[in-house]
Amino acid sequence: MDLSIDDKVQALRQEIRAFFAKNLPPEFARKTLAGDKLTKEEHKQWHALLREKGWHVPLWPKEHGGPGWGPMERFIWEEESGMAGAPRLNHVSQDLLGPVLIEFGTPEQKAELLPRILSSEDWWCQGFSEPQAGSDLANLQMRAVRDGDDYIVTGTKLWTSYAHVANKIFCLVRTSTDGPKQAGISFLLIDMEQPGVTVSPIYTLGGMLSVNEVQIDEVRVPVTNLVGREGGAWDITKFLLGNERLMGAWIGVNMAFARQVRERLEQVGPDGRKRSENAVLAQRVAEVETDLVALRYTTYRVLADELSGKAPGPEVSVIKVRGGEIMQNLTELLMEMAEAEGMVHPLTMPHDGLPVVPFELEHMAQQFFDKRKLTIYGGSSEIQRNIIARRLLNV
Amino acid sequence: MDFNYDDNQRMLFDMVDRFLTDKHDLVKREALLKDPAAEAALWREMAELGLMGAAFPEEVGGFAGSSADSFVVMERFGRHLVTQPYLYTAVIGGRLLIEGLSGDARQDAIGPVIAGERQLALAAGSTHMLRSAEDTSFTAAADGAGWTISGRMPVVLNGDRADRLIVAARTSGSTGEREGVTLFLVDADAQGVSRRSFRMIDAFGAAEVVLENVAVGGENVLGPVDGGVALVELALDHGVAAVCAEAIGAMEYLIPATAEYTRTRIQYGAPLAKFQVLQHRMADMYIQTQTAKSMALVAAMSLDGDAVERQRMISAAKVQVARSGKYVGYQAVQLHGGMGVSEELDIGHHYIRLNVINQLFGDSSFHLARFGALARPVAA
Ligand SMILES: Cc1cc2nc3c(=O)[nH]c(=O)nc-3n(C[C@H](O)[C@H](O)[C@H](O)COP(=O)(O)OP(=O)(O)OC[C@H]3O[C@@H](n4cnc5c(N)ncnc54)[C@H](O)[C@@H]3O)c2cc1C
Repeated sequence: MDLSIDDKVQALRQEIRAFFAKNLPPEFARKTLAGDKLTKEEHKQWHALLREKGWHVPLWPKEHGGPGWGPMERFIWEEESGMAGAPRLNHVSQDLLGPVLIEFGTPEQKAELLPRILSSEDWWCQGFSEPQAGSDLANLQMRAVRDGDDYIVTGTKLWTSYAHVANKIFCLVRTSTDGPKQAGISFLLIDMEQPGVTVSPIYTLGGMLSVNEVQIDEVRVPVTNLVGREGGAWDITKFLLGNERLMGAWIGVNMAFARQVRERLEQVGPDGRKRSENAVLAQRVAEVETDLVALRYTTYRVLADELSGKAPGPEVSVIKVRGGEIMQNLTELLMEMAEAEGMVHPLTMPHDGLPVVPFELEHMAQQFFDKRKLTIYGGSSEIQRNIIARRLLNV
Repeated sequence: MDFNYDDNQRMLFDMVDRFLTDKHDLVKREALLKDPAAEAALWREMAELGLMGAAFPEEVGGFAGSSADSFVVMERFGRHLVTQPYLYTAVIGGRLLIEGLSGDARQDAIGPVIAGERQLALAAGSTHMLRSAEDTSFTAAADGAGWTISGRMPVVLNGDRADRLIVAARTSGSTGEREGVTLFLVDADAQGVSRRSFRMIDAFGAAEVVLENVAVGGENVLGPVDGGVALVELALDHGVAAVCAEAIGAMEYLIPATAEYTRTRIQYGAPLAKFQVLQHRMADMYIQTQTAKSMALVAAMSLDGDAVERQRMISAAKVQVARSGKYVGYQAVQLHGGMGVSEELDIGHHYIRLNVINQLFGDSSFHLARFGALARPVAA
């Protein structure tokens, strides 16, 4: 047993911190930490800055333009990015699709598509869920019917994050209705900038626009856009979801929230007293802080096992469930401590003079209600518990 | 003991429910929020139905109601997700006028409220969600027979639509002291008043209010000079009882709505309702709602009684309703999956409102502390 982190990794942490201190535009960090969103242009600007350093695709191996980091280095990167308030870039392209293409793509697909992600030309979105396929993903209905060298694709994707800013979508499509449901699903790359593809926004709590409905109506997609073999999407999907398994802990982002919570607790409230004098509040803060420490070490424990060669298993479900719950608790505390100024609707605030409420407080309610999604998407908390019960407890 | 509505309350319930079923749902609310004239028209219609005066005694021109009648109105408002400021105008504002004025002045002030011609807002002067008035940052200085008030409050709930502001201003002593805060009735159009409007996360209206040397006459003082804090406490207790009722309306809607959704949503070849873990979740929602409902009713019935008992029961109710509302709202969203966080469904809007209610008029830590400070052995 040993809690220390090796010197090389520590040095990387310092290097990342120094880089952020020097290069991360304070306005970007300020916005991210205050729960505001960056524009696509701002994201591209940050991407360009990271690109100079070679850190723009942190999950990729060296030969494809990434830093070639191992699991520990990637994790440290996540932690430090979150803590610094570095915007999370075009994540679907870089962290989800990129590694899939590197692992399963044809040489032509790699040659064409990876550089377009590296240059931030392509913004991909993930078309998995459908109206009738939420938790039960294998029930998806989007049809891809072979016609010569093309598939003709028809169907509806739901809850597609960032489809409104993306130009391409990777979809799970049904290429066969025979046999087990999973075996008839294929992984298809589709250009969104063509007739037959319609994106409609879905507004979520607090007036957020991040998810969409994507309708695809008789769109021709070349067979060369198939990733892996026909009917082979299930393994690719597992690989893809596995790649972000530790991200569900949101350690860095949670630590940034915890830092803000602690700062606000030590401030003087409107009644002229330090908030920490409120024993109930002080205890709630300490409780979630200890929850976060426990989650952080649980994540490190999974990571250490992985480094020693043990394949990570269903215990990552523990991390996903706790990561979401802790973030919900932290953002709730932030909202509560911001009191009335944190309860405003940011999209309705007047901009005709001095701000009505401080910038750091304006998004607190919206941010809290937006985090409600964390225990629903990417395998809900109920589904994670089913996994634990079935795969770890054999019940 | 009787926890049921009496005949008059039943009638009031049916009337409000019919009206809102007809006039108010999520789609209509969206339209209302963009159309001040339509909002004003709806307000007048509600006044014509007699809602504003429903809980006021006859001697002030009300409809012979008791404070508990607000429960009926607010419970239906909660069910129908109404964002009209009955709470700020009739419940809190009305209470301050009734308690703070007398004789003709009282009649003159309340009449237009009951008639739906005047809306009110309490500007208690701080940045919290109307918890108390002793930390107001408004100040008022005596000026001949009248007063001059100055200060700024960033978030005045219903400050956007209020015709009269009830301003808590420090007239002596220093911040945090109970003595020395006075309530003033200020015309929202008076010289020196400026407002900028916006909405809260739950779509209720609000405004920043800045007062610059606003002159008010002595007749506009509500209650005793320097004695406004207790008056605000009483009015906010009425506010707590009202939002407890509102929360019950929301919770009692969310449970069957969630049950119905899980009965019809098929995943893995079966309705979600077949999963026992979800059945238990809904049973817990029910358990939470029942305990909260008992306390919301107790709160409503404690308003006109002994002051200490009132405060204890109001605090106990607020804590219970907050706990239950948080659970019920959270699970209603969770069991709806992605649909729960979509603005297209009313489920998420109820969840938001339940969370805002938790912050209004003192959050749980405030009311736990108040309950503890007033604690006495549980009597038989
Ligand atoms: C903000 C947001 C962003 C998203 N982004 C994307 C995206 O980019 N791409 C994409 O493809 N999808 C995306 N999703 C979809 C997301 O993955 C689904 O919402 C999720 O899989 C749940 O599906 P559902 O919403 O249909 O809920 P349902 O599956 O209908 O579930 C409803 C409730 O029932 C429970 N439940 C379901 N099955 C069981 C069971 N067997 N046992 C016990 N309980 C069960 C669930 O846990 C949930 O509480 C996003 C969703 C959200 C909210």
